[in-house]
Amino acid sequence: MSEKFIRAISANEVAPGGMKAIELDGNEIVICNCGGNYYAIQRRCGHMNAPLEKGTLDGTYLTCPMHCIQFDITNGEALSGPVLPNFGQEIPSPMFGEYLQNIGILMKDVRTESIRTYTTKLEAGWVQIAL
Amino acid sequence: MNIQSRKKALRYFFEKVVGPLGFKFTPDADLMEFLLEQEVKLESKHGIPFCPCQPLRDDRIRDMKIVCPCIPFHRKHFDIIKRCWCGLFVHKDVLDPNKLPQLSPKEVGIE
Repeated sequence: MSEKFIRAISANEVAPGGMKAIELDGNEIVICNCGGNYYAIQRRCGHMNAPLEKGTLDGTYLTCPMHCIQFDITNGEALSGPVLPNFGQEIPSPMFGEYLQNIGILMKDVRTESIRTYTTKLEAGWVQIAL
Repeated sequence: MNIQSRKKALRYFFEKVVGPLGFKFTPDADLMEFLLEQEVKLESKHGIPFCPCQPLRDDRIRDMKIVCPCIPFHRKHFDIIKRCWCGLFVHKDVLDPNKLPQLSPKEVGIE
């Protein structure tokens, strides 16, 4: 069965190396421009649902703004787990330390899933996405 | 996340750091795979991909100097021996990494 493409954004709405979050048919999607190649991924991180367009795009590797999990946007694969907080030799205040400990306990069992990707094509200056 | 995926990402990001410093990944593919795998394991344990061939001393200032790629912290030494300590990176002109001995700073006269 052939995929049905939906016109999403004009290609010049995202500069090379940039990302844009859109909503398409109820799906939250981020469109990434990697040197003229457009990729579309689910907007929410596979770990704790952070909005990925606020992260950093380096080539085809995207780093989540919340816990620095990295994804390969060509296939959605999670390339790392969350980065643990590291305060070095600084000792956090007892209250903050306790808070971090509780966060750590809550996060312990949170799995990091790969994210969904969508097929894209560029036609007549428009980025189209197959849903 | 699996080890192979993380190795792929580390390779991508390390290449960007060591290239401008005049280094490249060792042409010895087996060694490269092995060392990257050890770094992935260290990263999953400590949150940081430390050099797998140098000891952690529980001293943050010293330990941060062996975060891979540690070339900027040991530039003078590594430029003389044309490789990093563990051999994951070699100078760009090196074709046969097996000919490069692992000499300490003392042996090359900089300590």
